[in-house]
Amino acid sequence: MSIGRDEVRHVARLAELAVNENELDRLVEQLSRIVDYVAQLEQVPGDAASDPFLPGPHSVALRDDVPVPIPLRYPPADMAPEFAEGFYLVPRLGAMGDE
Amino acid sequence: MSAATDIARETGRRLTAADTAGLNAALDWSQRLLDTEAARVDRLGVRGALDAVPIALKDNIVTTEQPTTCASRILEGYTSPFNATVVDRLRSAGAMIAAKANMDEFAMGSSTEHSAYGRVRHPLDHDRVPGGSSGGSAALVAADVVPVALGSETGGSVRQPASFCGVVGVKPSYGRVSRFGLVAFGSSLDCISVFGRTVNDAAKVLSAISGADPLDATTLDRPAMPLPRPREDLRGLRVGLPKEYFPADLHAGVAAGLQRTREAILDLGAEVCDVSLPHTAFAVPTYYIVAPAEAAANLARFDGVRYGPRKVGPGGDVRALYQATRGQGFGAEVRRRILVGTYVLSAGYYDAYYKQAQRARALIAEDFRRAFATGVDLLLTPTTPTPAFRAGEKTDDPVAMYLADIFVCATSLAGLPALSLPVGRSEGLPVGAQLIAPFFEEELMLSAAAAIERVVPATAEVR
Repeated sequence: MSIGRDEVRHVARLAELAVNENELDRLVEQLSRIVDYVAQLEQVPGDAASDPFLPGPHSVALRDDVPVPIPLRYPPADMAPEFAEGFYLVPRLGAMGDE
Repeated sequence: MSAATDIARETGRRLTAADTAGLNAALDWSQRLLDTEAARVDRLGVRGALDAVPIALKDNIVTTEQPTTCASRILEGYTSPFNATVVDRLRSAGAMIAAKANMDEFAMGSSTEHSAYGRVRHPLDHDRVPGGSSGGSAALVAADVVPVALGSETGGSVRQPASFCGVVGVKPSYGRVSRFGLVAFGSSLDCISVFGRTVNDAAKVLSAISGADPLDATTLDRPAMPLPRPREDLRGLRVGLPKEYFPADLHAGVAAGLQRTREAILDLGAEVCDVSLPHTAFAVPTYYIVAPAEAAANLARFDGVRYGPRKVGPGGDVRALYQATRGQGFGAEVRRRILVGTYVLSAGYYDAYYKQAQRARALIAEDFRRAFATGVDLLLTPTTPTPAFRAGEKTDDPVAMYLADIFVCATSLAGLPALSLPVGRSEGLPVGAQLIAPFFEEELMLSAAAAIERVVPATAEVR
């Protein structure tokens, strides 16, 4: 196995992905199989161009910077308990510490 | 009743029949929405190029009227506040959005077995897969529910199911069609692509959705693709057959279908020659580093805070929320690819895997450039190494599943246009031939494919 249980746990933490202990062995087996398979890229000549190839335009075409309203699925008032005059109402600073 | 309403009702009947037959190809549709689409077409007044044509959308293309789930539990109940650019363009051309189609979760798969909403059945044999990841779109066209559908390609996810289902599948050049409103998987690879019953149907849809879009900076500043001019023959064209795509162990039915296509191309007056794409063997391993790496970054946004259901993890802090939501919301294949993508980008492995894959990708693209520079106009290859395989046959071995993409993912890495054309059947199962063209030469590719389509019987057994 090219990948062990600890490596899978570490990568899962980096990816913010909960992994159950009872599925760990299967993941170790499958990820090792994938990583062993893609390792054949070791054979790519070392003198090959190192500039990444990207399809598409050579330069990114930027659009005019015109502010437009961003559509929301729900009105802002539906996203929090209290909303008035364009602001969310939250406890006064320090008020929570007094409770 | 208007013609559009008639078509909307008939499409509803066909979607019902497909659901009843257990195809499981449509995730979301309703007669009410179809009737609304028909009324909108009637209000348009002018007859567009796709006047009242019902079209299915893969469920990773957003619309404001229907949920977009990417066939994942993590997006359950999500409806976009905006439409994809392709949706606006289809509607401007008169098309009616008929259904959101089932798919492999987040477009990761080659069989449409990795859907949170169950696998899609192959329309000709329910024990087999329709290919993937756009298997729902392919099955809806193959079952004659809709004449055209949109899918998305990251590494062959339209051409491969088109081949399995016996329909036409066209992937445009990267930058030809706007990705705005396509849920991102591999941003340097993703292309919205088209299924059609015929080459001309697919070409009409591609023409309608193509062209620069200020909302996608990677679209090229060129106008929409004109409809290809019909060709009587293929005289003056040179078609290359890359030897790496014709291995000795190629499925006999696929080889026979390609031989039939080669003979038709010769009969139509084209010249045929052998070419070599020497780095083809690197295509699948390169793809399965680049695509998961990009996916790991793109799917980081699905964390339970902004989209879909939220799960609370042990400890109750925000990281526990992320981990529980993502751990339970993503299916097995998506989680595997996120883990692989994170691994190849992590400290200590980046140079060995990701950087090496970038080198290989440049070599693969250079292979195509050199082949076309020798005077070859198009390349002809099989689309898939075998006809549709049985459900469950490859689900336990991810690498075996990945190898189903062996003839389609190199063109995705190189950003080139390509299509799959049905060229016969082997023991009743469709066989597809692939045409690959130079960058932005879709018109040439489609006009040649239409000429081949006229003389190669798509449903006759090959021997």
